[in-house]
Amino acid sequence: MINLVRNEMLKLLRKKRLYVIILIIAFLVPLFTYAQFKEIQDQREKMGNQDWRTTLQQEITDTQNRLSSSRIQDEWRKFLKIRLSQQQYYLENDIDPRAPGAPTFMRIFVENSIDLLLPLLVMVIVADLVSSESSGGTIKLLLTRPVKRWRILLSKYLAMLLSISFIVLSVAVLSYGISGVVFGYGGWNMPLLTGFTVSGDELLTENVHIVPQWQYILMEFGLVWYVCMIVGTLTFMLSVLLRSTAAVMGIMLASLIAGAILANMVSSWESAKYFFMVNLNLTNYVSGMATPIEGMSLGFSMSVLAVWGIAGFIVAFVTFSKRDIY
Amino acid sequence: MKAVLKKYTLTVVSIVSIAATVLWLFGLGWTLQDQFSANKKVSQLKEKTESTSTEKQGGTLTIFALGDSLTRGTGDADGKGYTGYLTERLKEKTDQEINLLNTAIKGETSRGLLKQLQQSEIQRQAKQADVIVMTIGGNDLFQQGAALENLDNNAINGKKQIYISNVKKIYTQLRELNPEAVIYHVGLYNPFSNMPDSKTTSSIVRNWNFQSAETAAGFDNIVYVPTFDLFQLQVENYLYTDQFHPNTEGYKLIAERVASLIKFEQEENES
Repeated sequence: MINLVRNEMLKLLRKKRLYVIILIIAFLVPLFTYAQFKEIQDQREKMGNQDWRTTLQQEITDTQNRLSSSRIQDEWRKFLKIRLSQQQYYLENDIDPRAPGAPTFMRIFVENSIDLLLPLLVMVIVADLVSSESSGGTIKLLLTRPVKRWRILLSKYLAMLLSISFIVLSVAVLSYGISGVVFGYGGWNMPLLTGFTVSGDELLTENVHIVPQWQYILMEFGLVWYVCMIVGTLTFMLSVLLRSTAAVMGIMLASLIAGAILANMVSSWESAKYFFMVNLNLTNYVSGMATPIEGMSLGFSMSVLAVWGIAGFIVAFVTFSKRDIY
Repeated sequence: MKAVLKKYTLTVVSIVSIAATVLWLFGLGWTLQDQFSANKKVSQLKEKTESTSTEKQGGTLTIFALGDSLTRGTGDADGKGYTGYLTERLKEKTDQEINLLNTAIKGETSRGLLKQLQQSEIQRQAKQADVIVMTIGGNDLFQQGAALENLDNNAINGKKQIYISNVKKIYTQLRELNPEAVIYHVGLYNPFSNMPDSKTTSSIVRNWNFQSAETAAGFDNIVYVPTFDLFQLQVENYLYTDQFHPNTEGYKLIAERVASLIKFEQEENES
């Protein structure tokens, strides 16, 4: 088995996909770092060199002003309200949620890329894992060996798992390393609040507790990895079902983007919460953002994703073992 | 040679990936543990540090603005409002750095402002201020920019009573927080002075202003700044298209008036 996985890893490395992904991240991170840096600078210019409390208070009043406008969409209002009470809570507890630093950047970066960017990168690796073998014809060579089919597929799946871990790790390392040049490398022990629960447009704070930023980041990366695994598994299933890599990519791409769009407009269509792509934003539960649909929670979203993942896994293995190869 | 290199990368990547998998699984497990068993850790929170600096920053003049949409600057094309123009004016006059903290909220009534003043951060900023400017009362009287619906004296008197008692509390609170800063309470103008009924509305606003000024006079260093006269004659030129809030020109007028008052105070300080 280990040799099979080794073999698959070798194939992956040969294709140089991992390098491409690392390059993409290495290119994007400086971009975001610069954007973040500009934002901070802009704020400094506008507000003078001020205490973060004053800045945060200013933001709170700005939000309050936006809320008092009557031409505001209900959903957006709910989102703002929750943000508002959260900021107020941070302020009351004397914690700056955005003290600049490489760890803070890392946190903001993964929170924003969990639902689209990272799944896309995973997709690039996984999409042709099986389908390229069938379209290239090498699948016959692979299956002529005296190894059970499911073991071959499992070795591919494990290779996928390893490369996903690798991608998530490179996101962590690169975003820390690159942004630290600008923001400095400190801030791991900064306290952050987690455990907010959202009910309607109220923010419940009874479970709120403080965690140090390093733990917070580790937790978020755990969730990111989970999401990537589910997206990876689904892509893997499609890769087994379809011969054409382009079709696999197309379907995954469409559903991921549909998820991003749906999350903004499904609040009244309740059963949409059973789609996997609406549930990808797991980090929002840790940081306490409004959910796209009423009644979603961390447990709910993780179970929905798990069901999709397990189903995909089963479909992939059953089809692969039963299918005629010619 | 190349094959050896490949093999080497392969091993490294594999080992790193396996280590990463373990790490992420650990993170995931920790999330589950942390998020689903959070109940017991509630009480950790209240170790609040009282490190918040309330000292005034030397060398800079801090203007603390609070109140309603007028202070916020609704209707001004640049969004600065009179506080923005006031800062600009003062900057021309002095080398001191000027720091404007604007906490005004559109549609704020005297009751809302009183509530806002209970927030610790607002209180901290109030303590820091060298000058306090505020507008309040417009929404108490005019119902969020709608016309004076009810010209009935009793109804207006009722509103006024509530307003005055709130304003008293606001003044007291501000004075408690910051005994030194001069408070400039910018008064009301009559946005309806070119409409029918203007006689009645003007007299209501005048009366309202009078009562507010009376209240302000009961405290030290509170200046009730009149604006009624500024808008009396050419109200249409100084109002924004909503016919209620001032436009840029209107805000500049208010700013000028407040600025001229602040100048004197500073000279006193410097001498």
